Amino acid sequence: MLLELYWTFVKVGFTSFGGTSMIPLISQEMLSHEWMTAEDFSNIIAIAEMTPGPFGVNCATFAGMQVAGILGGIIAVLGVLLPAFTLTIFVAACFSKFKTSQTFNGILVVIRPACIGMIIAVIISLLQTNYLVGGTINLYTLGIGALALLLLMKYKWSVPKVIICSAILGIICIGVL
Amino acid sequence: MEIIETVQKTETIESIEKEVQVTTQDNKFIKGIKLFAFFVKIGCFTFGGGWSILAQMEQEFVNKRHDITKEELLDIVSVGKSVPGIMITNISMIFGYQVAGIWGGICSVIGITFPAVVILSIITVCYAAFKDNYWVGCALSGIRAAVAPIIFSSMWSLGKTALKDKFSWCICGVVFLLCSFTSINNVIIILMGVVLAIIRMGVIRKNAA
Repeated sequence: MLLELYWTFVKVGFTSFGGTSMIPLISQEMLSHEWMTAEDFSNIIAIAEMTPGPFGVNCATFAGMQVAGILGGIIAVLGVLLPAFTLTIFVAACFSKFKTSQTFNGILVVIRPACIGMIIAVIISLLQTNYLVGGTINLYTLGIGALALLLLMKYKWSVPKVIICSAILGIICIGVL
Repeated sequence: MEIIETVQKTETIESIEKEVQVTTQDNKFIKGIKLFAFFVKIGCFTFGGGWSILAQMEQEFVNKRHDITKEELLDIVSVGKSVPGIMITNISMIFGYQVAGIWGGICSVIGITFPAVVILSIITVCYAAFKDNYWVGCALSGIRAAVAPIIFSSMWSLGKTALKDKFSWCICGVVFLLCSFTSINNVIIILMGVVLAIIRMGVIRKNAA
């Protein structure tokens, strides 16, 4: 199982370009292996966004530890770091050549829009897990979501602030009311 | 001559002077350890990804230690961004490599990931212990409600640079349909995208020639 975990995160590492684009990949791998529930996965995104350090590393640690304890966490992080330790060393060694090369940029022109397509698909599935409770729309969570969207897009609040705010609202609206 | 030299030396701020001297005298091993320490330090205090880390790197290595120039740092960033993997670890690797070879690169990457791993390990243990608590559960449902907007807003800013022409909109649409209505693995979709990109570059090059 540790090997499977490692291989999963190697795949995620090599096919992701930047933080958010990792979410669809990790989501699919976690759910298809049944290492996590959809709810766990939503929580992990919030936790990874709130704690310092690179998003991908945070996700990998959390996911790995959920699956197989501390050793699992370390294995997952090593997996996700493999591109840095192989491909990037190579790139660093021939840095002057890559500086002018258009190859990677040409690939990004196609990959970035593809990532956006994937992220939209993930958002839609998240909407189902987070706002639908037993087939009906939960108005409290929907309200918190709408407020969070407003704070992020219009008032440019930072992500940790928004998360703390929605946690408090969650306690008040769902816990007390 | 000696007098002029001493005058010049006192003119520069003492701390900067020391830093520069130390870095030029150090061997690679010590440099690696220093890189590790620096990246652990910024790894502890950076929220929300790459850009704030870059600002700190600029302050420390460009303005204070003069290890690299600002242009070099920008080059590192533009290359590091486009290599697969986590952007900031790629940038740390290339940067560390330039300062102190492979050893420096490895030290930097381990340095930047180390705090994240420790913090997340602690959180995961707490999460497992507390997620069934009633109040924690309520807070988590509130937080989960904010996750979709958070992803949406970061996708929005990604979209501004990524979706510029009809071609990119088409790719985005096709991938969305593939993800929603087929069970093709996301890894496969990305690999197909890479192949498509290489073919596309080939065609463009041929047309230009």
